Amino acid sequence: MRVILADDSVLLREGLARMLVESGFEVVAQVGDAEALLTTVDADPPDVCIVDIRMPPTNTTEGLQAALHLRVHHPKVAVLVLSQYVETRYAMELLAQGVDGVGYLLKDRVGDVAELLAALRSVVAGRSVIDPTVVSRLVGRRRQADPMETLTAREREVLEQMAEGRSNRAIGERLFLSPKTVEAHVSAIFSKLGIEDTADDNRRVLSVLTWLRGDGGEAQA
Amino acid sequence: MCHESPRADAPSAPRDAAARPSAGRLPRSTGTRPCDNPAVVEAASLPHARLGAHRPAVLPLAASLVGVAIALLALIADLHHPGGESAAAIVLHVAGGLTYVLVGGAAWLRRPHNRTGVLMVTVGLAWFVQDLEHLTAPLPYALGDYFFIAYFGLLGHLVVAFPSGRLETRTDRVVVTAAYLWALGGNLFTHVLFAPAGSTELLVLHRDATQYAIFDAIQQGLNATFAVIVVGLVAVHYVRGTPPARRALGPAVWASGPMLLAAIVLSLPGLVGSTPVLSSIVPFATPVALASLPGAFVLGLLLSRLSVADVGHLVVELGASPPQERIRDALAETLHDPSLAVAFQVPDREGWVDAEGMPINLPDGRSARAITVLERGGEAVAALIHDRSLENDPTLVAAVAGAAALAIENERLRADILVRLAEVRESRARLVTVADQERRRLERDLHDGAQQRLVALALTLSRAAERLNDGHEGTGELLHDGERQLQKALEELRRLAAGIRPAVLSDAGLGAALESLAENAPLPVTLRQAVDRRLPDSVEAAAYFAVCEALTNAAKHAHATQVTITASLKDGRLVVAVSDDGVGGAEFGGGSGLSGLVDRITALDGGLTLDSPEGSGTRVEFELPCA
Repeated sequence: MRVILADDSVLLREGLARMLVESGFEVVAQVGDAEALLTTVDADPPDVCIVDIRMPPTNTTEGLQAALHLRVHHPKVAVLVLSQYVETRYAMELLAQGVDGVGYLLKDRVGDVAELLAALRSVVAGRSVIDPTVVSRLVGRRRQADPMETLTAREREVLEQMAEGRSNRAIGERLFLSPKTVEAHVSAIFSKLGIEDTADDNRRVLSVLTWLRGDGGEAQA
Repeated sequence: MCHESPRADAPSAPRDAAARPSAGRLPRSTGTRPCDNPAVVEAASLPHARLGAHRPAVLPLAASLVGVAIALLALIADLHHPGGESAAAIVLHVAGGLTYVLVGGAAWLRRPHNRTGVLMVTVGLAWFVQDLEHLTAPLPYALGDYFFIAYFGLLGHLVVAFPSGRLETRTDRVVVTAAYLWALGGNLFTHVLFAPAGSTELLVLHRDATQYAIFDAIQQGLNATFAVIVVGLVAVHYVRGTPPARRALGPAVWASGPMLLAAIVLSLPGLVGSTPVLSSIVPFATPVALASLPGAFVLGLLLSRLSVADVGHLVVELGASPPQERIRDALAETLHDPSLAVAFQVPDREGWVDAEGMPINLPDGRSARAITVLERGGEAVAALIHDRSLENDPTLVAAVAGAAALAIENERLRADILVRLAEVRESRARLVTVADQERRRLERDLHDGAQQRLVALALTLSRAAERLNDGHEGTGELLHDGERQLQKALEELRRLAAGIRPAVLSDAGLGAALESLAENAPLPVTLRQAVDRRLPDSVEAAAYFAVCEALTNAAKHAHATQVTITASLKDGRLVVAVSDDGVGGAEFGGGSGLSGLVDRITALDGGLTLDSPEGSGTRVEFELPCA
């Protein structure tokens, strides 16, 4: 699997590269800013790009903008954005350009090699990955007359797994449930929260996240 | 600054220093150039009592005395001249010249720096040159004949330069020069060339009655032409003048009619031939017309005195009710200068400010505006910016300034306070901005420095743990502990950085930051915001942290169960309200955490209200200018 790394911190980039090589990935390029990333991808598109959200020159969200650009111009290249911020807005922005093969992970996950590799494989397989911290912030959000309170503890767990981008099968594996049981939970959740069901596992992430962000159904101005 | 070379009539520095009255003496100068020699008035005292004291009075007095003596001699000579005019005409003739000598002398004494007085005395002296003709000796007779109309040039000069004594425009100078050339040279030339047959002049080339009559007619015509031109110039000055300038021009305007009429009457005998009626009018016309200028001048001074009397009214008016604008208005009314402005000098600040404390520039020397500086204890405290023509009436300006000194001083103190207030405001806003920049820097340092290193360390630990074989279970566990501790540290670091200044505020603006805040709040928050554009950094930060504080207050102190945040833009102002359903009774200050909010908002010139009745929730509303 061919990977391009984009991060302005050389220390972290080198560490990541070594870890990836050790795990059997091919790191085809390492770049330090968004512009170099786009040029490199244009020249030779890899399977996946790992992009730091915060890069020169402004050190704000250059990485996110570059990722969005790649989504449009290289839809086949998967993108995993590493972020310092637990901002659901950024995750949503990323998904809004298409949910297939994108991920938004907190940079802290880099320290958990297994989880990072799993996420990388997920996005390359065309799935979406949203950091559990971002999801739990949305799920844990306080609402008035909260429909979330009607969910059982198990349904809540399933909801979180859906929001992180997992398929029914993956949820079942993770929670030790049969696919049938997962399906039953999912449809219960959708009817309780009033979310329109969708057959597409990937699109489901977006509708769940949108509902969670939407202040318990109340539209935001 | 003014770089023009000092004019003849502008006081040069040494003379000015010599003429400068000692401290407390009023007023100092007339006819000065505004930029380098403004009129100066000691603000603390009334000027009336000391006006005109200790002036160099010898010259005007001597000139006036000489003038009176000459007038007496002329009177005697004229009365004894065989075949002369009637006694009445002679008395009138002498009186005409004498008026100039006396009024001019008085004006000279009053305002030694204004040339009008000198010119007037000189016109009076020159007037009597023609009486030399009545001495029978050939030389005086010839001189009298040659310089018969010397006064004419001086009179033209006086009228054109009235009332400042300065020739302001090039046209003025050309006309006056031509009048001098004509009055001295032209007349001399004609009388040397021609004379009536049988005249007794010393040097005459042609004694031919016919030629003499022709040239005499030409001369009379030119005299009348010059009179018309001079009167025309006065009219131009009047039309172009500002209201105060027109007032000051009054005597010249009033005298223009009689003088023009006299010039025409005088030229008639030469042009159309003498008639008995003309012969009887001519001897009276010139002196009467001549006297009209000093007459009008005296009248003008009397009116000016009346204006000074208005000052009493001004004092009463200012004493009764001195609302701020009224001081300028009252001064403008009393000085008859609608454009009058007042400038102040406040401590610790260069330059001048207006009544609102805003910096203003004083007019320079090229401007049509002049200034009168008011001093207190030798230091300039205020300046009246007025029409330059008011320089011709320094008594009035000084009286007005003196009378209004207290009101002006109050106004100055107020301007001073406004200046300081503005400075305090600016410095507060600066402090807030600096603090915000500092927060942003800290946040960046945390993210780009510490966080990156910790993440890299976590990665290294993780890789080390992966490499360990089964034989080192204890070490692997330790490494995993290290990883977990690192994750905790990273989490805390992230929270710390977001608390210092959330990156989303810088990246996506207030709207996004408020969304994030609402998402993360420890109690349900309904957010209704319509802020669809980026606002100045300082405004976004102040509003964000103010909402944070209101939220903290709602959660910690008010025991609220829900909060509503609204934010919108109205007329270039950001309006934000945070209301909760808590216990109420909140106060700014008093440990409620709301005092920091007040500081943030007021530092940026914003306003805020707190509505927190006991038991009925709390509503904080604030607005910030964000043009």
